[in-house]
Amino acid sequence: MRRAVLAITGLAASTTALVVLKGSPGTSQAGQDLPADQASVAPGASGPGVTPAPGPAGSGPAPSTRPSAGASRTPDTKQTGVTAKATTAAPRTTTTAPKPSTRTVTGPTVTYRYGSLQVQITLSGTRIVNATGLGMPQSGGSGLRSDDVQARYSGTSGEVVAKQSANLNTVSGATYTSNAYKQSLQAAIDKA
Amino acid sequence: MTSQDTYAAGRRTGTSVPHGGRSAAPVPPPPPPALPRRGPGGRRALATVFWLGLVAAVLPWWLDTPAGSLADTPDLLTGAGRITGLVAGYLLLVQVAMMSRLGALERWVGGERLSRLHRDLGATLLVAVLAHLSLIVVAYAGLEEKSILGEVGSLLRDYEDMVSAFVAAGIMVAVGFTGIRAIRTVLPYELWYHLHLTSYAALLLGFGHQVSNGAQLFEAGPVRTGWIAAYLLVLAALAWGRVIAPLHFNLRHRLRVADVVAESPDTISIYLTGRRLNQIDVLGGQYFRWRFLNVGGWWQSHPFSLSAAANGRWLRLTVKVVGAHTADLRDLRPGTRVWAEGPSGTFTAAHRTRERALLIAGGSGIAPLRAMLEELPAGAALIYRARTPADVLLHPELDWLAQARRTSVWYVIGSRHDPGPRQVMSPEGLRRLVPDVTRRDVYLCGPAGLVDEAVRVLRRAGVPRRQIHLATFEL
Repeated sequence: MRRAVLAITGLAASTTALVVLKGSPGTSQAGQDLPADQASVAPGASGPGVTPAPGPAGSGPAPSTRPSAGASRTPDTKQTGVTAKATTAAPRTTTTAPKPSTRTVTGPTVTYRYGSLQVQITLSGTRIVNATGLGMPQSGGSGLRSDDVQARYSGTSGEVVAKQSANLNTVSGATYTSNAYKQSLQAAIDKA
Repeated sequence: MTSQDTYAAGRRTGTSVPHGGRSAAPVPPPPPPALPRRGPGGRRALATVFWLGLVAAVLPWWLDTPAGSLADTPDLLTGAGRITGLVAGYLLLVQVAMMSRLGALERWVGGERLSRLHRDLGATLLVAVLAHLSLIVVAYAGLEEKSILGEVGSLLRDYEDMVSAFVAAGIMVAVGFTGIRAIRTVLPYELWYHLHLTSYAALLLGFGHQVSNGAQLFEAGPVRTGWIAAYLLVLAALAWGRVIAPLHFNLRHRLRVADVVAESPDTISIYLTGRRLNQIDVLGGQYFRWRFLNVGGWWQSHPFSLSAAANGRWLRLTVKVVGAHTADLRDLRPGTRVWAEGPSGTFTAAHRTRERALLIAGGSGIAPLRAMLEELPAGAALIYRARTPADVLLHPELDWLAQARRTSVWYVIGSRHDPGPRQVMSPEGLRRLVPDVTRRDVYLCGPAGLVDEAVRVLRRAGVPRRQIHLATFEL
């Protein structure tokens, strides 16, 4: 039983450690190498640290070893009928001062399993201040998924505004909808 | 039975005792050399695989989660929920794999240690499942600004495979709580056993939501493929260890009861014969799980050690009659078919860490030690505790082994409060009897009280813990 208590304590400690390491925004640059605490969960782990692309607003998506949901700029091969090519954007160099005026940018229509959608973002300068999904399916299970995604991502206090990027947490139970949203959003951000 | 000095711990040098007219009495061949040692390499390799697997289970989350992306409380909780979910899924696989009876596991880790690990890991798994469930519910409720109950309702209604996932969690909670020793002892064994079998259902019911809703697993890709492959691998191990390998073993060896012999008023030896017995890879001290396929016993499986090393001609188990099942074994008829699963256990001469050994037996606990003696290097010592002279089992064989393998045997007769046994079972007494006890492996088998007391005495005498080997079927 002593071993069980030890294991449970280890589980709690290492989960907390992992979340805190990923969570603190201050570590976006410094805390990238796998920390020594990893050893508590993973003796001998040497995973590649994720290094964010240095962007002006820290909004560069992190290249990970595999195209992961929301963290990749490569078009998702699983999606069907993508009408817009996501551009592989080079890091933008902002030499001109951004105009402090709001403007809206609309991403391409992305067709997915339950329908299609477009994401429209409102920017003030380079900062996203609002986002919404347009033309999303409204009926049945697809509608529920649309509502979930809208509730989580869109609006002036949604996740898009909070994160200022397309690196959004996939809405559980609405993965196709989330992916389509993020794809259109990414293209909109690239256009902006 | 030779007469004993009841209260004295007297050294008996072996004299070759001619065996009385027992048809299946062993006529031992000249002793083979001691078994080569098997280090803990196999066990360490399995431990390494376990830790690597744990890292591989959590690594996708680490790579998928951009640094600094867990800004607020719901995000942090979601992250923790995902980690505990991945860990729980992995631990459930390990739990099932550990009970798959794969030959490698049974031989390298041993069934008894596997059971202990299974219990400890089970507690951890239960905590991980409950943490995963509550973290995700609370995090999503926070994100969507719903009440906890409302969020549970929406998960069950709107998300794929979540109903079966909740059922799986319910099963695991039930199995986990009935696994707690205090609760388990008051439940009928059959109830506990059948409830425990439903954990296979939990494995399958919980799988759906992992690949339909799991943030790291819903996308086709190497991670998802690897995860599904791990599940298939464990199911294959289960089929192999529980079905195919036992079928193969029993079809190959076709064991039958040859004879049942009374060793003492309450102990019997069962001799088994079969085909190709010289090809059974079993070490003295290991056990099989036996089913005797007669009218009353075919549905019960019981672990008994072999009480003689493999000799290619017969197998023997020596059993103390303690309950209804063991009482029925007395009436086994020659010719009864026997279904055996094994061998299992690391309580063998091959797992020694030193070249010399001290064996301490209590009552019918002599069985595995008697089998092991044939395979230990010469120069071992055996202390045999028994309540009365009549409780000393396999006496002629022990005397013969004492001579053939230069083993010192002490019969220590009497209750634990008598002066003789009390003196022997003390650090000073042990050191007087076996001066180099700290440089020996000590093998213990007997009633739980005796084993516990002996371990205390040995530790006080300065024997390192890793040199003490226990055979116990009690969790």
